[in-house]
Amino acid sequence: MKVREIAKNYEFIRRIVMFSVLFLLLLQFIRSKILVGSLTGSLLFSWLTLLDPFAFLEIQLASRSIDLNAINSVLPVIGIYLIFGRAFCGWICPMDFLFRLINKIKFSLKFSLSHKIPSNIGYLFFFIFLFSSFMFGIPIFTNYLSHLTNLFRGITGLYFLIFDMPVEFSTVLYSILFILVLLMLEFFFPNLWCRIICPIGRLYGSLNKISLLHLRFDRDKCLNCQVCNKSCYMGIEIMNQINQGKLRSIDCIFCGRCIQKCSQKGNVINFKLGV
Amino acid sequence: MDRRDFLKILGFGALVVGFSKMLPQLSYSLALRKSENFEPPIPHIPIGGIIRPPGALPEKEFRAKCISCGVCVNICHVMKYDAIAVWGLGSLRDFGTPYIKDMRDFPCGLCMECPKHCPTGALKEVPKEKVSMGQALIDFSLCFGWNGDVCLSCSKACPLGAFVFEFYNSEWGNQPYINDNCVGCGLCVKYCPLGGSAVKVITKKTYEKVKEEYINEFQKLLKMNMEERYLLVYNENLPKILSRGRIVEREYR
Repeated sequence: MKVREIAKNYEFIRRIVMFSVLFLLLLQFIRSKILVGSLTGSLLFSWLTLLDPFAFLEIQLASRSIDLNAINSVLPVIGIYLIFGRAFCGWICPMDFLFRLINKIKFSLKFSLSHKIPSNIGYLFFFIFLFSSFMFGIPIFTNYLSHLTNLFRGITGLYFLIFDMPVEFSTVLYSILFILVLLMLEFFFPNLWCRIICPIGRLYGSLNKISLLHLRFDRDKCLNCQVCNKSCYMGIEIMNQINQGKLRSIDCIFCGRCIQKCSQKGNVINFKLGV
Repeated sequence: MDRRDFLKILGFGALVVGFSKMLPQLSYSLALRKSENFEPPIPHIPIGGIIRPPGALPEKEFRAKCISCGVCVNICHVMKYDAIAVWGLGSLRDFGTPYIKDMRDFPCGLCMECPKHCPTGALKEVPKEKVSMGQALIDFSLCFGWNGDVCLSCSKACPLGAFVFEFYNSEWGNQPYINDNCVGCGLCVKYCPLGGSAVKVITKKTYEKVKEEYINEFQKLLKMNMEERYLLVYNENLPKILSRGRIVEREYR
């Protein structure tokens, strides 16, 4: 493969970015200080604390007060995703990789994808999670139901269990079972979690409306072949928006699949960094 | 068989071998945890809550702000203390929050890295002396220093030293006593040479309740006359200490 072709292969670059972030997070087990914590909250070079924006909203509502430390740690994250929009879902979230793996198995078993539920129902879940955090005074989603928290809690717990350090066995069990349940959910209801339930992605998605990174269309070269609609993981009807010249959908995770699958090979749809 | 198949088989083989290496270690560590399970010191006083990492907010606020992100757990591992574990399904509202689980083996070293780096502000930065994780209590019936011996292990291990420890020397030993300035890090629990430790850390809240009872017991021992003390030490306490010594031959890490 030529260098240019590899560079155009977004699937490949996405996996490299995801695995390198995961690798940096796993380095903490051999006592490296590069990236400590998990994807909900972490510490970079023991200098910059980072916090997931949805977790930030939840703790403000749960504690009913405004905390300076939390604001300090959420601002860099918001800064990053004001540039890249919902790229977190497609480029960093490890569940995306696991879900695509499940989808591949499913295609070999001849199941079919369905994207018939409108993704706007997700706002219901978003506000249910926020409201329950406010009611119970505990960050409900991030503490119990988040795929990111449970994934890293499970990995850390397993590591601590194996190397004989203090750990609560029930926590590890819960976290791993939760991830397995999510994978089962993905098997039977493809993309239900990513498109509708997950409020983390929804919050990042709302930054899509103003983010610098977005998709641009060249209407004149389009052949109306509908391949981009069929290839989109998140079930966005790209063809309907092609007249507007650009895509600012809340669901777009910038995976680059539509660009690769396009019959005109990147001439119609492309990433654009700018206003 | 082409190259891809061969690589698949190789990868699968490596996975199986890795897992089979892990499994005995896992079962061993699970079994080891059960074996050292005997009566804690001062059985009539319960811990009465959860011992949080240093600098934690009051319980209700802490629960509202902790998101179980694992920064404190992992920074504790990076600093080589490994003290912090995550609360399990025992009580649902505390699920996922950090606490100090095993002070006998992994006490808090008061390095103050976790409150410095907590992303949500559930742990607030405080000076070492003003941390209030808990209160260490000495079991007078088990402590060597209260039963005719001189042992300074706990006071030597204490990061605050003379700020916390008081000694009432007599012919019955150096008689250490831990005052209210204790922050509850648990280093004395680890370095107590008695099998199963003669020191126990309880929460500050419980300490307020049992403080009078505990001080009365302490005063009674100080005022006790020679004959009573002799009977107490030789008939009741020393057999207990010796039996513990026989059960546990502890290897220090």
